[in-house]
Amino acid sequence: MTGGQTRDVLGELREILARATGRAELLGIGVRTPLFGAGAGLDSLTGTLLLREVHRRFGVDVAQEDLNLDALATLAALAAFIEERAA
Amino acid sequence: MIVKCVIWDLDNTLLSGVYLESGTRPPAADPAMRTAAVRLRDRGIIHAVASRNPPAAARHAAQVTGLDFAAVECGWGRKSDAVLKIIEDLGIGPDAVAFVDDDLYERAEVSCAVPEALVLSPEDLADAVGWPQFSPAVVTAESRRRGQMYAQRRRRQEEARAFGGSRDAFLRHCATEVTIAPATAADVPRLHELSVRTRQLNTSGEAMAQSELRQLVSSPAHQVTTVRLSDKFGDDGIVGGCVVGCGVGPGAGRTWTVTLLMMSCRAMGRGVIDALLAWLARSAAQGGAATLSVPCLVSPSNVPLRLALAGSGFRASEDRSPQRPVAVFSRPVSGPLPELPDWVISKVAGR
Repeated sequence: MTGGQTRDVLGELREILARATGRAELLGIGVRTPLFGAGAGLDSLTGTLLLREVHRRFGVDVAQEDLNLDALATLAALAAFIEERAA
Repeated sequence: MIVKCVIWDLDNTLLSGVYLESGTRPPAADPAMRTAAVRLRDRGIIHAVASRNPPAAARHAAQVTGLDFAAVECGWGRKSDAVLKIIEDLGIGPDAVAFVDDDLYERAEVSCAVPEALVLSPEDLADAVGWPQFSPAVVTAESRRRGQMYAQRRRRQEEARAFGGSRDAFLRHCATEVTIAPATAADVPRLHELSVRTRQLNTSGEAMAQSELRQLVSSPAHQVTTVRLSDKFGDDGIVGGCVVGCGVGPGAGRTWTVTLLMMSCRAMGRGVIDALLAWLARSAAQGGAATLSVPCLVSPSNVPLRLALAGSGFRASEDRSPQRPVAVFSRPVSGPLPELPDWVISKVAGR
């Protein structure tokens, strides 16, 4: 996996996150900013929209594979989770 | 399966005529359909519109029938696409909707594309009011107002789209109020109804009988709690509840266990489940507990609940088996606790 591909996944994830939360400013969110809580304000509703879109676009069912949803800690964690499985 | 939503065609179905062909005097409500729809509304079943008409037709239908439509899809696309859009908007299963249309072709198209839906002619619907699928066992004040609350939800979502700021800023802007209070015997029917109807935010996946809830409400070793929600758009009434075993006597109660946690999907995205989890953690700490535990049946339908638990600092133990797919999510309550937003009103003494 090259650095170029990593950036593509992150770019797509930022777009999915901005769409799920309805907040365009999250297009610029840092890769280590927490997604839950004050960071991106992900909650049960926006998180569900995000997981559904990740499943649709990358074929990775995060909820099925990750009981604690640790992959949703940050965008970096989510991108790594997806790349491990989509490789 | 109980039908939660009836999706109506308008021309020659809910209306007694064709809207666009009626000139300056749009058609009246079809009397038989209106009567049936009102009876279903009073049982807590909501209504929606899928029509090949301009949106003004749905506003006219709402006026002449007196119904609140939870969702409206007006356009010239396929009826099945409108039905699927409504199912997604309302967050209900395709097996929880009935579709009523006078046109045989439209009924066939929807049956084919959404095989789980109950597809009926207007004559069928008049008869179906007596069928078990349209007869929920419990009808509460909340269920009778359900259509109205979905209509409020549509207005809230439109405003949220235009708002732009964070979720919490929007909740504040809407004058959101979450009230957490001890359950009384009078709340038992609504709590039972929530245990039957909620899936996405429900730890157990099984209904809890009214008799069991009544016992728990009066048990000294348990706390049964209700959660109410309102904002400037309207009052949603009791949207959630939980049962907590907190133990009695010396040494008991180091772990508080939430044996049932449930919340209506109408409350999703409005900070209510997070508020309840924060309140539970703070209550457990004040009650002298070290740990708050939430045993949870893990299923594809309650992923939103797992999101809320993860967001509130809970971690699961991995002791599930195919026979018993329950994971225990827990968090310590001795260290820093999640903040309780200032729009949460706690009516439980001492907390």
